[in-house]
Amino acid sequence: MAENQSGDMDRKNPNDAVEAARKAFEQEFERFAAFAGDGSPLTGLNLDQAEAEHRALAELRTKHLGKKSALAASKKAIGRVSADDRAAFGQLVQRTEAAIGESLEQAEETLRTAIQVARTERERIDVTIPGRRPRRGHLHPITIVRQRIEDIFFGLGYAIEDGREIETDFYNFEALNIPETHPARGVQDTFYTTEGFALRSQTSTVQIHAMQRRGAPLRMIAPGRVFRRDTPDPTHNPMFFQVEGLCVDRGISMAHLKGTVAEFLRRMFGPATTTRFRPSYFPFTEPSAEFDFSCFKCGGAGCRICKNSGWIELGGSGMVHPNVLRAAGVDPEVYSGFAFGLGIDRMCALMYGLDDIRLLFENDVRFLEQFD
Amino acid sequence: MLISYNWLRELTDTGLTPTELREQLTMVGLAIDAVEEIEGDSVLDVEVPSNRPDCLSHTGIAREVAVIEKSKVQSPKSEVVKTQGKAADLAEVEILDSDLCPRYAARVVRGVKIGPSPAWLAKRLGEIGQRPINNVADITNYVLHEIGQPLHAFDLAKLAERRIVVRRAQAGEKLKTLDGVERVLDTEMLVIADAEQPTALAGIMGGLDSEISESTTDVLIESAYFNPDSVRRTARKLGMDTEASRRFERGADCENVLNAQARCVELICQIAGGVATEDAIDVYPVPSPALRVDFRPARVETLTSVRVDESEMFRILTALGFTRIDGNGGVLSFVVPSWRVDVSVEEDLVEEIARHIGYDKIASELPPSSMSGEYQPTETSRRALRNALKDLGFDEAINFSFIDAAHDGLFQLVPRLTGDSTQDGLVTLNNPILEGAIRMRPTLLPGLLESVRHNLNHGTRDVSLYEIGRVFAESEPDNDSSQLPNERAALALIALGGATEAGHAQAKRELDFYDLKGALEAAIDAMNLGPLTFTKAEVKHLREGQAAQIALPDGTAIGTIGRLSESIASSYKFRQPVYLAELDLTTLLDSQVREIRYKPLPRYPAVVRDVTLLVGRDVAFAELVAAADSERVADYAGAKLVGTYEGENIPEGKRSVTLRIEYRSHEGTLRDEAVEERHRALVNSLVQQFDAEIH
Repeated sequence: MAENQSGDMDRKNPNDAVEAARKAFEQEFERFAAFAGDGSPLTGLNLDQAEAEHRALAELRTKHLGKKSALAASKKAIGRVSADDRAAFGQLVQRTEAAIGESLEQAEETLRTAIQVARTERERIDVTIPGRRPRRGHLHPITIVRQRIEDIFFGLGYAIEDGREIETDFYNFEALNIPETHPARGVQDTFYTTEGFALRSQTSTVQIHAMQRRGAPLRMIAPGRVFRRDTPDPTHNPMFFQVEGLCVDRGISMAHLKGTVAEFLRRMFGPATTTRFRPSYFPFTEPSAEFDFSCFKCGGAGCRICKNSGWIELGGSGMVHPNVLRAAGVDPEVYSGFAFGLGIDRMCALMYGLDDIRLLFENDVRFLEQFD
Repeated sequence: MLISYNWLRELTDTGLTPTELREQLTMVGLAIDAVEEIEGDSVLDVEVPSNRPDCLSHTGIAREVAVIEKSKVQSPKSEVVKTQGKAADLAEVEILDSDLCPRYAARVVRGVKIGPSPAWLAKRLGEIGQRPINNVADITNYVLHEIGQPLHAFDLAKLAERRIVVRRAQAGEKLKTLDGVERVLDTEMLVIADAEQPTALAGIMGGLDSEISESTTDVLIESAYFNPDSVRRTARKLGMDTEASRRFERGADCENVLNAQARCVELICQIAGGVATEDAIDVYPVPSPALRVDFRPARVETLTSVRVDESEMFRILTALGFTRIDGNGGVLSFVVPSWRVDVSVEEDLVEEIARHIGYDKIASELPPSSMSGEYQPTETSRRALRNALKDLGFDEAINFSFIDAAHDGLFQLVPRLTGDSTQDGLVTLNNPILEGAIRMRPTLLPGLLESVRHNLNHGTRDVSLYEIGRVFAESEPDNDSSQLPNERAALALIALGGATEAGHAQAKRELDFYDLKGALEAAIDAMNLGPLTFTKAEVKHLREGQAAQIALPDGTAIGTIGRLSESIASSYKFRQPVYLAELDLTTLLDSQVREIRYKPLPRYPAVVRDVTLLVGRDVAFAELVAAADSERVADYAGAKLVGTYEGENIPEGKRSVTLRIEYRSHEGTLRDEAVEERHRALVNSLVQQFDAEIH
């Protein structure tokens, strides 16, 4: 057929062939013609249909503008047209080619846009669905508070120490100037193993070891687990966490104790925190003091947390008793020191508003998830 | 202890209001918990430190108030009463155990009329929480709260032979105390007996038989000093805590015995009538010497940083009852008043001065900076571990260190805790407080299992927990028996439920062994330790076939990992698989930290070849890799897992393992033929070694 057609061209008016090609295109393009306009016929076309139309257009382009198209044959025939007619024929072929190309181009462009819009629509996501991630873990609130305390005292030049949890009578009591008859030594208050060792009832045990090992001067804190024979209730546990601090040097006085505790509490609870010291009694310090700090919640005005007193009791402290210094091999005539202790569990309870500290050791995930 | 404001004002003419007293007393070390208004009076609840028994009375508190106000304490006023006869003619006192009772004084009042107390006395006792009984009993109680000396009134007629014998009880001797309880005594307990039998528990409570009753006419008033430790021990042993025992066990005033007795006798005569003896039988064979404490005024400034005038120091100490003695060579000392059992060294005197100067007068300053901070050597690793586990989805748990003995023998313990793997030598508490929890835990796993149970019971089914804590066991038996138990730090992990967080844009997947193993590996990696090796093992608390021993790169075993055994799981009623691991953290933290050294980046690309081998199910992936590694094929750069498959199209007892083998040369890009040759050699060797087929 193609042979015949091209053969015909020689004899017939080549313009007719171009015109036929144009007509043939227009006929097949008719159903796409609307796309070249405002694109309204696209409404209702889904992504798959639009893509099929786009493919059909591409086929149309190949058929009518491709290498084997009638128009391509006409192009090849330009050289054979008489010199007089050649320029006009050439222009006709070009115009026709350009017109077909433009029609295709417009329809394609409309379809491309439509496809992109449809694809975007199909791939639209709900950005409010929670993101994909592994289960998230949490540090125990006691760890959070302990690390904060350690960081503060590290910054104040203290060494962080820990020691045994099962101790001898000497380290748990005797070296701390706790007399043999003191109730704390009784089986009511302190846990003993069948071998007669004590579960440490305060981390002051670590202070004695540290003084013996490091000598004076010395600055250290000992955070850790301690044990006292209390039946669990909202404010007691038979095991809790404590931090005890010790500073021994020449010329250490109660002013340094007050300054250190006050600085610690300011860093812990904010710069506006004020501290109050009251005389008290501990066997291992003389003079002894309890310290309170201004309520972080109400700032001292009185609220539920501070039981309307404006002050929160936090810990015990004092100047290290000379007997304790001597027991650890430090000469109390040369050196003096202060010591302080406070409960990490109690700090947790205060900071997070815990009304029952038994929750600390139940490991309920719904509880643990609330921290850090 | 409750203090009546009106009563206090009879003893020291304070100008302070109850509210002011609250503040001022708190600041000298007598914290006031509450002030309550009661019918024209205020009652202060004073928290007296355990070393200050001298403050367990209105006189004691008045003494502190007088120092604060620079005023004086007035002795309580009684009317002068008629006396007649010698006490020794009416009764007899003998102390057999003077180590437990250094002083005992008895005085008699004859012809008393027992009846209810007058209104003012009953009201006063009522305000401070004391229940009125009868006039004589109330008066002894009144004097106790006024002066601090516990007293006891016996019905003289009921004392056999009118004799008081202070002695240790005989084993098995019985005494019905005033509370109606029959007490069985032992030879450690001090009693007040008559000629025949015990009639009071010394310093704790009187006996029912010699109690004052309506028919009583003659009373014997006891005023004594009992050894604090003896009273404490007996009271603890019998589970008793009385107004008297509380004072004696902290230390009464041995020199105030007669004074308090006189005050009591005078009040009895005044209120209940009767005639008192002229004197008391006072058995006090070895008077206790007054204590002297040397004092260097400069120590006050050294310890407190406050400069105090010496005259002010001496005023405070004198007002508190200390007597100044100027010794030779300018040595200054103070005689400690008999009621101050808490003062024995110079620092105690410094505290007396400091608290009355006021702790608020002490400056607040940081010590001169001279030292640098220091974390514990393992802290960096521990924080890395905790943070990694947190990122891996594990919540940190903390359990009690004591567990039930029911867990004995159920768990394989971490290596090096006990000498061998037997369960002997666990640390046991003599006096546990939680029922059954008598063992210091040798493993963290029972605690975590309990935590899992708690969470499941509360509807949480996805649980990943870890705990870091000490585990305990007795030290080697061949060592000295006085040696402290072993304590090692352990790390345990437990996981069950979904591997991903529910409610997120992801498919749900139940976690398995490899989730726990991967988490552990990642956490160890974060500490820059390891890599750990895992070999299949039989572990008693783990399910067979899903259990592994964990070791350090040098082969040191440090723990186990796997799925909880059926038997333990069913005892907890766990229906879903539970995976757990426990490691000896002490050994892990002591192990070699991986050294970080730069290696030049490869200049030529690697070529990879996958091979799928059909091997027996018992052939471990690690064995295949180890075999490939040891083959030393040229340009071999490692083998990795692509996947394993069992099931359809795989014969029973076999599985297919697909390995990805990497080849890389440092000299140039490898040609296909070269890779092919090497790969064929390697695969053939694996096929032979493991009786495998290429799949």
